[in-house]
Amino acid sequence: MAEERKAPATKSGVVKKLQATAAASAYQKQWFAGLLERVKNGEDFGYLNADVPMEILRAMDIPFVVNQWWAAICGAKRMTRKYFGLLRDAGYRDDLCSYCATAFAESLDPDDHNYDEAGKPMGPWGGLPDPTLAITRLTCDCQSKIFELFAMNHGASFYAMENTVPRKVPLNWFEMAPDHWEDLYDKDRLDTAVEELKELIRFLEMKTGKMFDINQLERVMNLINEQESWYKKIRDLIAECHPVPVTVVDTINAVMQAQWQRGTEWAVGHAKGLYEEIKALADKGEAAVPNEKYRLMWIGRGLWHDFAFYQRFEQKYGAVFMWSMYLAMGADAYIRNHVEDDPLRALAARYIGMEDFLHMPPWNNQWFLQQARQNDIDGVVYMIPENCMQAVEGSYFIIKTLEDAGIPVLSFHADPVDPRKWSAETMTGLVEEFIENRVMPVREAKEKEEK
Amino acid sequence: MIVKMGIRECALKSNAFRALYTVYTHRDDTARRWKSEGRKVIGELGCDVPDELIMAGGMLPVRVYADPEKPLVETDKYLEYAFDPVVRAQFEKIVDGTYAELFDALAISNSTDVVIRIFLYLREMHRVEPHKAIPPVEFIDWLFTRNRLHQVRNEHTIALFRKAVEGWAGREITDEEIRAAAKVCNDDRQALREMEKLRSGSEVRISGSEALVIIGSAFFMEREEHARLVREVTRDASEWPVLTGPRVFVTGSDQESTELYDLIEQTGAVVVGEDHNWGDRFFDRDFPMEYTPVRGIVDTYMLREFSSKKAFVSQRVEAIGRWVSRTNAEAVVFYTNRYEEAASWDYPKQKESLEGRGIRTACFAKMQYPVSANEGLSEQIAAFTSAVREVS
Ligand code: SF4
Repeated sequence: MAEERKAPATKSGVVKKLQATAAASAYQKQWFAGLLERVKNGEDFGYLNADVPMEILRAMDIPFVVNQWWAAICGAKRMTRKYFGLLRDAGYRDDLCSYCATAFAESLDPDDHNYDEAGKPMGPWGGLPDPTLAITRLTCDCQSKIFELFAMNHGASFYAMENTVPRKVPLNWFEMAPDHWEDLYDKDRLDTAVEELKELIRFLEMKTGKMFDINQLERVMNLINEQESWYKKIRDLIAECHPVPVTVVDTINAVMQAQWQRGTEWAVGHAKGLYEEIKALADKGEAAVPNEKYRLMWIGRGLWHDFAFYQRFEQKYGAVFMWSMYLAMGADAYIRNHVEDDPLRALAARYIGMEDFLHMPPWNNQWFLQQARQNDIDGVVYMIPENCMQAVEGSYFIIKTLEDAGIPVLSFHADPVDPRKWSAETMTGLVEEFIENRVMPVREAKEKEEK
Repeated sequence: MIVKMGIRECALKSNAFRALYTVYTHRDDTARRWKSEGRKVIGELGCDVPDELIMAGGMLPVRVYADPEKPLVETDKYLEYAFDPVVRAQFEKIVDGTYAELFDALAISNSTDVVIRIFLYLREMHRVEPHKAIPPVEFIDWLFTRNRLHQVRNEHTIALFRKAVEGWAGREITDEEIRAAAKVCNDDRQALREMEKLRSGSEVRISGSEALVIIGSAFFMEREEHARLVREVTRDASEWPVLTGPRVFVTGSDQESTELYDLIEQTGAVVVGEDHNWGDRFFDRDFPMEYTPVRGIVDTYMLREFSSKKAFVSQRVEAIGRWVSRTNAEAVVFYTNRYEEAASWDYPKQKESLEGRGIRTACFAKMQYPVSANEGLSEQIAAFTSAVREVS
């Protein structure tokens, strides 16, 4: 499950230079205001989980919000504590699926659309307007239950899409995905996924009275290919640069905010702008960390509540977190060429793989290995997710694959969403120890060998 | 025979009950006998592996179960903490060689998230650590949301599984063989339904713990023999004393042993039914003999009463209402293990609907495994039983 949060202010000089991050933040506010207007005028409004093929709604011009994006907004507005309390009061657990359940918790808030005494809205960004459609996929046992509860509270129509498990798992999915996607999957899985899309389309047509036009989907798919191709160029550029011009602190937000807008002209322009900005930095020889010595890979969801953590090892060790899945997934997982042959099938070939690329062995471990090599990684810090079955991903195999290839891994368990369970001090100590005892010796040995 | 569980003397005097009890407590014996006779045994992980197909192939289906005493040496290496504790203990036996010795293959059904992950891990272990003694694995990718497309997809999935079973059997399996096996399974289900009348009818003569033994022994023995013994127990039980405590229904985590029911029944309540897979849900729906074999299997497993994992909240609310009516329960115990939490999302709405009908509820969430690891549980259950008794 992909997600996005606003990074707190960081000390990185480079992050301030990236216009793209600020531009994305400004755009999403403007876009949301437009969405509110449309909903106010009586248009249907969809609320989707991140793994739902949003491209269909985009092509049908049905306004929508993605669950994980909205949860991030709620988090940034510091609503989490209040929402945990609302869940508890309503008899729900407050220690379960907190991220995925944020919007459901918000739907229990009687003040969501109210204003405080100072006239300020009490809900995040004035509160979520009532969706008429709530759509999720059955990629875990809890998601559909949470979405149905959310739909009940908003009076929305609830729709769930199934998920199938691959039998065929070619190890080099990242090479096959753009052009050989038909061969990447079992044929019957793709067939079923196309049928699922058709059923979703029919549901949306019946609900909204709008017609789905395949030409519009082709357009949306092409825009996404263009956008993601920019991410591929950015990822490849960063991988080649020694030292890197930007770190994960710079790229995560810039990429993710635009990822939720994929399939629009704006998102393409934004991705292109991001590339140009980073390319200019690279051309100038600008280094995110001037004394770059060690290149670190971050496996796991973003540490939204402590972005500064990624930068704690820069000055002391010259260790730079330069890889996270957010940019690299854009580069490798989304592009589906030959859309014109069958846009629906191309879309099916995108959405059915997304969770598996990240969470299923061997697809995830093989990709992490290939990415570690492409990015000349010296060490991997791997946050093993707790408390979410969907994100359970064969950590043993990930660690084994990387370590067997000579890439040291520091793994630890944490709940990326819950700051109550995070100790910055302990983690800093662990990473420092890791750099000193594992990363440095391996790098030295590598350098000796190269000489 | 030394019996530690909450099984009554009257039950132990029944030859048939004792036979089922022996199977229930010595779960591997039949499988071992089959192996020693050169016949094949297929393990089942997840509750939606169609026994009919395995039996049609002349093989013995056997349910994977956890051993709470076994240290989780291998499991701790391979599995993250988020796996529920019962599945962790089951996994240990799959990868430490225990089941490699007993099973010719392992069939895993898409019955819950955690089991899907186990399949993915085992497949990867076969790829990267082929020397490990793990049985060959086959996955049944059911889709449980109820619509035409998923029914059609399930027919395809079961046709694929039939091929896999044929591979294990080393021969083609005919439609007649599947029908014959389905008839045996239906007969067993019917025998269990007759037994159920003495458990949840107006007069309760079979306790919850006794019922778990009667039902659960089916997972470890030949089904014809099981049906015969169940009918005999039912005849015997019609003479057993009537149980008069508050009628409790149990929902939530699978109960592989009678431990929880023993605790409940020691407080004077009686467990008249459950919706988990080691109880009533097992014999909920018959194979429709008039359907083609593949369609019959899809109908039986896709359309039986909802599981706690693969159903929406509204479906679970309706389902618990049906169960409570079917068993005439006065109270419902929600019991879920730590990390096995999907049903937690159903609970508040189920509770609201049950309490609207005057049914008392108690919730035990994030429970440790095994049941005995939960301090103070028996006191909490006793307090609940007293509260129910007062009202009734
Ligand atoms: S299990 Fe994970 S993906 Fe599923 S609802 Fe819970 S937190 Fe979300």
